[in-house]
Amino acid sequence: MYITLDGVSRQYGDIWAVDRVNMGIGQSEFVSLLGPSGSGKTTLLRIIAGLEKPTTGRVLIDGVDVTDLPPHRRGVAMVFQEFLLFPHRTVYENLAFPLRMLKLPKAEIEERVAWVVGILSLAGLEKRYPNQLSGGQQQRVALGRGLVGRPKALLLDEPLANLDRELRQEMEVEIRRHQIALGIPFIYVTHNQEEALSMSDRIAVVRRGRIEDFAPRTQIYDTPRTAFIAQFVGRSNRFEGTLDGAGMLASDCGARLAVPAAGLAAGSRAMLFVKNEKLRLDPAGATPAGANSLACTVKDVILRGAYADYILAFGNRELNASRPRSERAFLAGEAVTASFDAADMDLFDADGERPS
Amino acid sequence: MARRLTRFLSKYALLATLAISYLFLYLPIVHIGLGAFAKNHAFPYPPRWTLDTFGRLFANSLYQNAFANSLILGVGAGALSTLLAAAATLGLMRHAGRRTGLYLVLFVAPLFVAEVLLGIASLIFNGLFLELQGNLVSAILANAVHCFSYALLIMATQLYRYDWRLDDAAMVFGASPTRTFFEVTLPLIWPGLLGAFIVTFIMAFNNLEISFYLLGATPTLPSVAWGALRYGVKPELYALATAVNLVVVVGLAVMFVLMLTGKVAFGHRPERERAV
Repeated sequence: MYITLDGVSRQYGDIWAVDRVNMGIGQSEFVSLLGPSGSGKTTLLRIIAGLEKPTTGRVLIDGVDVTDLPPHRRGVAMVFQEFLLFPHRTVYENLAFPLRMLKLPKAEIEERVAWVVGILSLAGLEKRYPNQLSGGQQQRVALGRGLVGRPKALLLDEPLANLDRELRQEMEVEIRRHQIALGIPFIYVTHNQEEALSMSDRIAVVRRGRIEDFAPRTQIYDTPRTAFIAQFVGRSNRFEGTLDGAGMLASDCGARLAVPAAGLAAGSRAMLFVKNEKLRLDPAGATPAGANSLACTVKDVILRGAYADYILAFGNRELNASRPRSERAFLAGEAVTASFDAADMDLFDADGERPS
Repeated sequence: MARRLTRFLSKYALLATLAISYLFLYLPIVHIGLGAFAKNHAFPYPPRWTLDTFGRLFANSLYQNAFANSLILGVGAGALSTLLAAAATLGLMRHAGRRTGLYLVLFVAPLFVAEVLLGIASLIFNGLFLELQGNLVSAILANAVHCFSYALLIMATQLYRYDWRLDDAAMVFGASPTRTFFEVTLPLIWPGLLGAFIVTFIMAFNNLEISFYLLGATPTLPSVAWGALRYGVKPELYALATAVNLVVVVGLAVMFVLMLTGKVAFGHRPERERAV
């Protein structure tokens, strides 16, 4: 593996911000570290950059143990959430900074800055200072400063968090394109699952300093390994209850649900998740599409454009369903049947682990 | 009608207060200034203009000597205390952790020691332990003790606004810690250093109480002025005070113009503050 984290841990006082992390990242892989705030994902990134020292464990980049190397000798680059452009330097000088530190000849510096100005469409802004740029432009300069030195890896710490939604989606595509073109690993820290899902090859879900799972993005979304991932990635309905001998779950909210055959003993507690878009809706009385059906009332309809989010009342709890509007529209107050198949659900034992 | 009258009155009452405040601040200085340029220096109203006093002042080798010594003292103590305070401030902000408050209190504690006491104590300490005679070096050291605390406070207010993550950014992009300091940190914090240097320079330059004990026979401007007082207030003292004031005023004016034209900005503006 091109970048290897070997039992990396970082302790602050009594707290392990990063706890025994093992990861291998390939030469041209886009990896996201996805987790809630305070989960330790930024600390992990700073350890790779050399801005923090791991309490124990080793960091290897391109086969070299860099654990004891200071940041300026690691050959990686970083894009920060706050951009952190040098405010006393122009855009050109900011972009040339990593190259000057590499002691490249002036002609090559000019050539490389011109290249990065070209690919990030920054032409005409070279003489401006960072405070004369819009947020999106500053973001591009920060990205350009990360790419210009052709680093061994680019580390991105929530670089899009300060941009508005439209710009963010535009940049997602762009960042991914540059990563493919350059063929270097990008390690991308985010708490935003959409960003992680849209760009990554693989996603590492970070929780309380530990890697909950590190898997291809479709696998993270479609077959979450733990209840935490099922809860955190995508939007789901959660049912908790007790299994009986006949492969049915008697949920605490009063539903009886047929669950996939699994290695859980009768009488044990279990939880299951059904993604909002897997919950199918039919008018009350029609034959439900899925094996498990729940009689609900539409409480609220939230229009999202191409699809609509329905908030359903089931007994005294709420369920969420997300359906394309081309399919059929329901109105608030309407009685509906929500249904799903056993294959649509993710079942976990009481500890939140997927039963084997 | 009544409201307009109140507004009229309050506006002029405010202006009058302003004028009185400035008169209170500047009348003594103006009086000395007029005295310096007048033959009738004791009561220069109206002044009969002359430049003789300045001629005598600048011709007097004692004053020349004293001026040179004061300059050395001011620059030496200013530079020393600014350097030390810069190191102390950087340490406080970056590495002190939970004990920042304690260290800060200890750093500014010299402010609460009377200058006379500091002078005597420094004289004894420098003489007994450092084996320094009363001379300029000893006076620079003693003044730096006092100036250090002021320099620290001035710099701390400036550096408080510095975003240390810029240092992280510089290091990730290949700058060694030294390079980072000179390429990124220093260019952004030097106005704070300059401000601290100017204030401590003026303090040491004008200091009498501390220097008095440590200088022995070496004259400085304040000590010469103090000595001259024994023979009554001579016109040279008027000229001296005016000359010193002029230097200070010119210095401040230069700084003001630099700030106005944007050549110098105090403190680091967060970069997204003015983004469109």
